[in-house]
Amino acid sequence: MSIFRLGDQTPPEPRRITDTVIERLEHQFEVDPDLMQITPQQDMPVWDSRRIFNARWDHLDWMHAHFADEVLLAGELSETMPEDHS
Amino acid sequence: MSRTAFKAAIDDHVLAELRAIIGDDARVRPDRSSRAFRSRVPAPFPVHRWAEHFPDVVILPRTAVEVSEVVKLANRHGIPIVPRAGGTGLSDGAVPLRGGIMIDCKLMNQIHEIDLVDRTVTVGPGINMLKLNEELKKYGVIYPDDPASYPCSLVGGRIGTGGWSLLGARFGHTRDLVISMEVVLPTGEIVEIAEGGGRKLRKSSTGLTLKQLFTGHQGTLGITTQATLELVPRPETEFAAFFAFDDYMKAYATTGILTKSGLATLAGVVLFDEKKIEYLRRDDEAYIPQPESVRAVVAVAMYGRRCEVEPASKEIMRLGRSNDGKYLGDEISAGDWASRHDRYATPLHGRDLDGQAVLMSWHCEDAALNYSVLPQVREEWHAIVARYRERYGIFDDWGMFAYTSGSHKPWADYLVEIDVGIWEQKLNDENWAAWVSCKREIAQVSLKYGGSITACHGATREGDAELVPEEMGSAWPVVKAIKRALDPNNIMNPGKQSLDEAYE
Ligand SMILES: Cc1cc2nc3c(=O)[nH]c(=O)nc-3n(C[C@H](O)[C@H](O)[C@H](O)COP(=O)(O)OP(=O)(O)OC[C@H]3O[C@@H](n4cnc5c(N)ncnc54)[C@H](O)[C@@H]3O)c2cc1C
Repeated sequence: MSIFRLGDQTPPEPRRITDTVIERLEHQFEVDPDLMQITPQQDMPVWDSRRIFNARWDHLDWMHAHFADEVLLAGELSETMPEDHS
Repeated sequence: MSRTAFKAAIDDHVLAELRAIIGDDARVRPDRSSRAFRSRVPAPFPVHRWAEHFPDVVILPRTAVEVSEVVKLANRHGIPIVPRAGGTGLSDGAVPLRGGIMIDCKLMNQIHEIDLVDRTVTVGPGINMLKLNEELKKYGVIYPDDPASYPCSLVGGRIGTGGWSLLGARFGHTRDLVISMEVVLPTGEIVEIAEGGGRKLRKSSTGLTLKQLFTGHQGTLGITTQATLELVPRPETEFAAFFAFDDYMKAYATTGILTKSGLATLAGVVLFDEKKIEYLRRDDEAYIPQPESVRAVVAVAMYGRRCEVEPASKEIMRLGRSNDGKYLGDEISAGDWASRHDRYATPLHGRDLDGQAVLMSWHCEDAALNYSVLPQVREEWHAIVARYRERYGIFDDWGMFAYTSGSHKPWADYLVEIDVGIWEQKLNDENWAAWVSCKREIAQVSLKYGGSITACHGATREGDAELVPEEMGSAWPVVKAIKRALDPNNIMNPGKQSLDEAYE
């Protein structure tokens, strides 16, 4: 059975990040729709944005595993960003 | 006799001959859609003149003998042949300039032999590296030719372009990784091309080293129908680190330090300039949250055994912080490195002069330049693109990066890329001419600074091709003599690289 949840379909109101960028879902940045008048933006249900976003992580994991057996990390935090963003 | 210009006429008689050679009508395709799909590549294209670039017929051979018979026929009738693999080449190498027969090698995608004793794999030119490596993984080996087009380009095209790999500093580029080839010459003979003799030998001093001649010729000297490739032990460990700088020159200096570190596991060092960061910041997820003080980034990657990579990684973390470099953190370092095939160049949208997002195609200039000239070239390239952007409003500057380019010698050569967006829907003859002129000016800067127009894509398109004689300089007569000797009727990918001059 497929379940239709309205909240899964309609993206929340955007938060402005910079003059030209907005964010509707965490860490998912979009060009400000005001700048998309010549090339109109596609309406994306939330579930589809999430699917693409999560698939991105799968893709990156796959890429790592494709080229080497393990990924070594420096194990250090970002020196340019506060901890919660790094 | 001048053999500089012919537009092929493929009549019913030639089609019948082709069908007789191939023996399978599904692999002889004169229909419009088969031809249209194979008429362009992802680089900026004169869409307003699309039909001028259709091949007359597409052939999908399965064997070298089929290729050979088709080429013999073309040579007899003076019909152009254009080899095509993945069609991802960024300099129009696989775009017909004079119609003719397109040889699409995608069905020649077999793995013929995996030799784990002498460490080679022999494949058809239609195989893709990603698919090949999926198969090789179970044997603990890898074919490490890793262009940003890794998921979509094919071995035949890699050989045709003499491609450049993101891991080239560690493992070498295509020409270092191809050990030998079977090639169909423009006159139809099938020959074995290697260092000397010996299909699996990496080094020979007997006679001429023909292998390099048949790598990077853009299908102008023949068609590779089989290739024997290097097998490298699959890396145990990958390590990547990204460092931010508040100034390009500091990042440039650190790039020099890293590339001269002498660390053998170093696979690549990349220097992203301020325009590239600006471009990534404006609508890509990678750097948006980074503070404004981040104006240049240096990325480093290493591959090897853990016992090598782990201690070397500590040295990278130390050297990367030279000149106030700041580590961008584990998540960006590992994640952005894994995104290397798609992140930096290909959004396919840019901005018009009012900042509106518009669909754009991607030009990727790929000069080969020495370390010493990177800052000057950067300034001049950006100035050229800014001038054309201002005047025509259909171009966009997506920034630059410089990437280590010497095989196993990361210290002095760089693939230097400026990515330029072009609003294709606005193309007409005037705007196309403006683009070609912009392109040519960019390439001329590379020559002025002792560089080469192209480190990987080839100089087969307008804006590059006319500069090939200048770049080749006193060697140009030698190049022309070779072309004329191997291709007496100028049928192999005619019109490319100014090679028509060989027949004047
Ligand atoms: C997103 C993206 C990223 C890219 N990144 C890189 C990169 O990092 N490094 C790099 O080097 N390139 C890169 N490229 C360019 C392109 O992928 C390479 O030039 C690649 O080598 C082309 O391979 P292909 O199979 O698509 O060849 P095609 O485009 O089909 O052909 C390329 C040339 O080779 C000739 N050719 C094809 N098959 C044969 C054959 N069997 N025998 C002889 N000649 C043949 C063609 O005539 C043509 O001149 C990128 C392209 C894209 C779209």
